[in-house]
Amino acid sequence: MNENLFASFITPTLMGLPVIILIVAMPNIFIPSSNRLLTNRVLTLQRWLIQLILKQMMAMHNNKGRSWSLMLISLIIFIGSTNLLGLSPHTFTPTTQLSMNLGMAIPLWAGAVILGFRHKTKSSLAHFLPQGTPVPLIPMLIIIETISLFIQPMALAVRLTANITAGHLLIHLIGGATLALLSISVPTALVTLIILILLTILEFAVALIQAYVFTLLVSLYLHDNA
Amino acid sequence: MLSRVVLSAAATAAPCLKTAAVLGPGALQATRIFHTGQPQLAPVPPLPEYGGKVRLGLIPEEFFQFLYPKTGVTGPYMLGTGLILYCLSKEIYVITPETFSTISVVGLLVYAIKKYGASVAEFIDKLNEQKIAQLEEVKQASIKQIQDVIELEKSQQALTQKRHYLFDVQRNNIAMALEVTYRERLHKVYKEVKNRLDYHISVQDMMRRKEQEHMINWVEKNVVQSISAQQEKETIAKCIADLKLLSKKAQAQPVM
Repeated sequence: MNENLFASFITPTLMGLPVIILIVAMPNIFIPSSNRLLTNRVLTLQRWLIQLILKQMMAMHNNKGRSWSLMLISLIIFIGSTNLLGLSPHTFTPTTQLSMNLGMAIPLWAGAVILGFRHKTKSSLAHFLPQGTPVPLIPMLIIIETISLFIQPMALAVRLTANITAGHLLIHLIGGATLALLSISVPTALVTLIILILLTILEFAVALIQAYVFTLLVSLYLHDNA
Repeated sequence: MLSRVVLSAAATAAPCLKTAAVLGPGALQATRIFHTGQPQLAPVPPLPEYGGKVRLGLIPEEFFQFLYPKTGVTGPYMLGTGLILYCLSKEIYVITPETFSTISVVGLLVYAIKKYGASVAEFIDKLNEQKIAQLEEVKQASIKQIQDVIELEKSQQALTQKRHYLFDVQRNNIAMALEVTYRERLHKVYKEVKNRLDYHISVQDMMRRKEQEHMINWVEKNVVQSISAQQEKETIAKCIADLKLLSKKAQAQPVM
């Protein structure tokens, strides 16, 4: 049981070949594209959703920040789709791997910060010292702000990993509890099944929310530094 | 979809288009001949509008029709149940915690799709229709604008036909003004002439009156001169005697 609990988080290999590449590329199939004006229902819905997200997310940026639109929308679509696909049985979710999330978070965060330092050096440095701090506190506050700056990519990556992994683990555990309770008392197993259903609803929401939060924070860093 | 319809229409009409290129209303299209080569791919068969029918969301209807002659209506269901029970009993499919998560996920999905599927589909169809409606509106607005311009042009042309009314009215006005001026002058002339003639008449009248007065005065003067003193006295005595007589008569009267 112990081994099985974490079995779904092993990077999948098929006879020594890294299938992970195919797995990461798979959600791409579910986002078709077409250059027609009137498309089928799936495509129309996707286009409408993407337009909604785009308008909502890029409204606060200036023109320079809006050049990141493609990156951010691809980000939210990728994270959302991989999280949602991971809820199906026997699937592997790439976003449960810290390596992958770090690979997404660090370049994006670093890009935003370095852009800010290059183009708006003074205002970027000014972020280190909030307004109206008493003078004796300044050195300590600068250290704290620096730490808080460098923790941002870590927080991004670890937040996503932890949420998704925890959700998957919980589902697995409660499913196991249901299985074990089936032979002991069926009504309790039914209760546990209901808990599992509620948890699944939560997990659907979490999958989408995490994607949104990730992208929103990156866009926030961009806005600060753009 | 529309491009395929155009292609098929053009292709089916293509053979006769080439021959009828010189005459007929197809002359506009004949200047661009789409497929001059061998028409192998030309009439592209249109894509089906709806997907194939499925039962239970997974199994195509054709499978049921395939088994129907041998096993009847319940055949495929028995096959499915048997397969599932076989996999379960032989533990080809192991019941793991994953099974329950599958049950909950798939159950949730089926419930959500059954409940909200139709309304979402309607919403999406409405989005597409809105797109078409927007373009249609642009087209209609353009058509309407052009029609309005045509109407305006026609009305302007009609107006130029009726311009002669304007000229007639002006002509009439001028004629009337001329007439009025002529009559005014006529009247003035008449008045002037009458004035002069009246003057002459009044001069004549005045002369005659003066002559009459003069004559009367002369006659009176002569009569008064002709009355001598003696005659005057006699006349006055007679008058007094007459008056006395009269007064006696008058006194006698009221006594009666």
